Amino acid sequence: MAKRIVIDPVTRIEGHAKISIFLDDAGQVADAQFHVVEFRGFEKFCEGRPYSEMPGITARICGICPVSHLLASARAGDAIMAVAIPPAADKLRRLMNLGQILQSHALSFFNLSAPDFLLGWDTPPAERNVFGLIAAHPELARAGIRLRQFGQEIIEILGGKKIHPAWGVPGGVRSALTEEGRDRIRAWLPEAFATVATGFELFRRTLETHREEAFIFGNFPSLFMGLVAADGTWEHHGGKLRFTDSSGSVIADHIDPADYLEYIGESVQKDSYLKSPYFKALGLPGGMYRVGPLARLNVCERMGVPRADAELRLFRQQGHGAVTSSFLYHQARLIEMLAAVELIERGLEDPDLFSRDLRAEAGVNSPRGVGASEAPRGTLFHDYTVDRDGLLKKVNLIVATGQNNLAMNRTVAQIARHFVRGDQIPEPMLNRIEHGIRCYDPCLSCSTHAFGQMALEVRLIGPDGSVRREVTRE
Amino acid sequence: MNDNLLVIGYGNTLRSDDGVGARVAEAVANLGLPGVGTHACTQLTPELADLVSKASAVIFVDVAAEGPVAHPILRRLEPAESSRVFSHSADPPTLLALARDVYGRAPEAWCLLVPAENIGFGEELSPIARRGLKEAVRKIRDLQRKRGFGPAAIPPFANH
Repeated sequence: MAKRIVIDPVTRIEGHAKISIFLDDAGQVADAQFHVVEFRGFEKFCEGRPYSEMPGITARICGICPVSHLLASARAGDAIMAVAIPPAADKLRRLMNLGQILQSHALSFFNLSAPDFLLGWDTPPAERNVFGLIAAHPELARAGIRLRQFGQEIIEILGGKKIHPAWGVPGGVRSALTEEGRDRIRAWLPEAFATVATGFELFRRTLETHREEAFIFGNFPSLFMGLVAADGTWEHHGGKLRFTDSSGSVIADHIDPADYLEYIGESVQKDSYLKSPYFKALGLPGGMYRVGPLARLNVCERMGVPRADAELRLFRQQGHGAVTSSFLYHQARLIEMLAAVELIERGLEDPDLFSRDLRAEAGVNSPRGVGASEAPRGTLFHDYTVDRDGLLKKVNLIVATGQNNLAMNRTVAQIARHFVRGDQIPEPMLNRIEHGIRCYDPCLSCSTHAFGQMALEVRLIGPDGSVRREVTRE
Repeated sequence: MNDNLLVIGYGNTLRSDDGVGARVAEAVANLGLPGVGTHACTQLTPELADLVSKASAVIFVDVAAEGPVAHPILRRLEPAESSRVFSHSADPPTLLALARDVYGRAPEAWCLLVPAENIGFGEELSPIARRGLKEAVRKIRDLQRKRGFGPAAIPPFANH
């Protein structure tokens, strides 16, 4: 008879997740599910609103990745207006997106994941908490926070606020970069390069001591999806969609994001509000794909900047075709941070950033508009259908965390298989599962703000539904 | 360090009363109280530890999610034992612990919990939350007067 282990991170109100691990009769892990009980009523809430308000509204969905929603929404608005936005607006949006990727990746790597790299997963919980790693290595945490502040300062310089800037609009952006703003950004660059270099050093040491984790933390064949530029270069805002498989072969290319529904199906998972997208042509389970830093580095041919390209070559030595271990999302994140800093440095000299031609004006010229942009954790789609007055009739949002949902399930199952034996739930397994999920850096808070630190509640449920064993870790 | 009181109000303003904390921070900012800096946000993010460490005292304003309360509740806060953050957002005790461990100082702190009754999608506050907002602002003013926070440099990204 099957049994079920439930890991339930306790958070506030809504927007929380839990993990169920299903055991077979022999006590071996058969499957796992990462449930997200996030409320998805936001799409309905937006109906009836003018599409022009959507960038500002959608940026308020989430306090973690507002810029990603802002930019995808603005692109959907461009499509409804059927305009080509001024080159300056495109470059400014790109600059803001690089700031967003940088600030998000910095926190994920230096502040969320680095403590695990340095402490490992076998340290008892009391020791993990009492002898806080951050207290022992404050310089690392400070450097990560500083790098995050750099990314946020770019957003603030352009948008006027770090969070929820109503700066990106259908047709372009509201304001250009100033010379003072450029100088502030430029002043950060040496420190940003140095911090990213520290991250690479740390991760190289980590890989030497975490070979097992690199092997079992979500290491399986899957498809990968991301935006690429016309020449195959890494892309984060604009470009076309590309799917590759685990051998590195391109299986679908040059896809206009507006046609995503022809390629992406959405399955609904029981007990979860999170939709699970898949590559339609292969169905499930073969159509499972991953998005985000690992996927973007697998689908692109080059980063387009020299230092990040050198790191990309090293990264690719860890795969045969594609790099398939989700543990290497961390390394991919570092490479994207490096590319972001290089691209920011290169882009700052562009006179277009100071242009006054920032916005195309038009009414509703298309009843539907799709905007896609690479958020830090993967491709984000905003799909709007409007009436003649530009009021929204239908909204569909596909977020990165949803697209990685199937891969996260598989990652949890893979890790659990190494540690679950019968009714035993070893503590190190919880640490590793938590980190396995963290590799994807999921954002579960698009409805309301989370409350409290993550606590893990583990329940072993017998075939009759009774709780046989329960472990809670505060 | 600035000789100031920092008010951090947080919550999602698209989720009705859930956003009352952010709205309290905005209301306090509009008063222009001497020695009081404010920061309104959706979530508490770890980099706020920098700002927190530079304040003399901090009030975290949030919606009261623990159950029905009639009036705003002001409680003292202590830093958490661990400054480890698990996601892109943190709770007040962890933020205080981060300020202590990363920047060497955790200020005196309180949480101010404002009554609420509706956290569904919407931008309006319920009557209970509206009343709670006014009372919360009054409590912050009282604390500012009682503790004598005076004119001082406001931290660089306060009053957002």
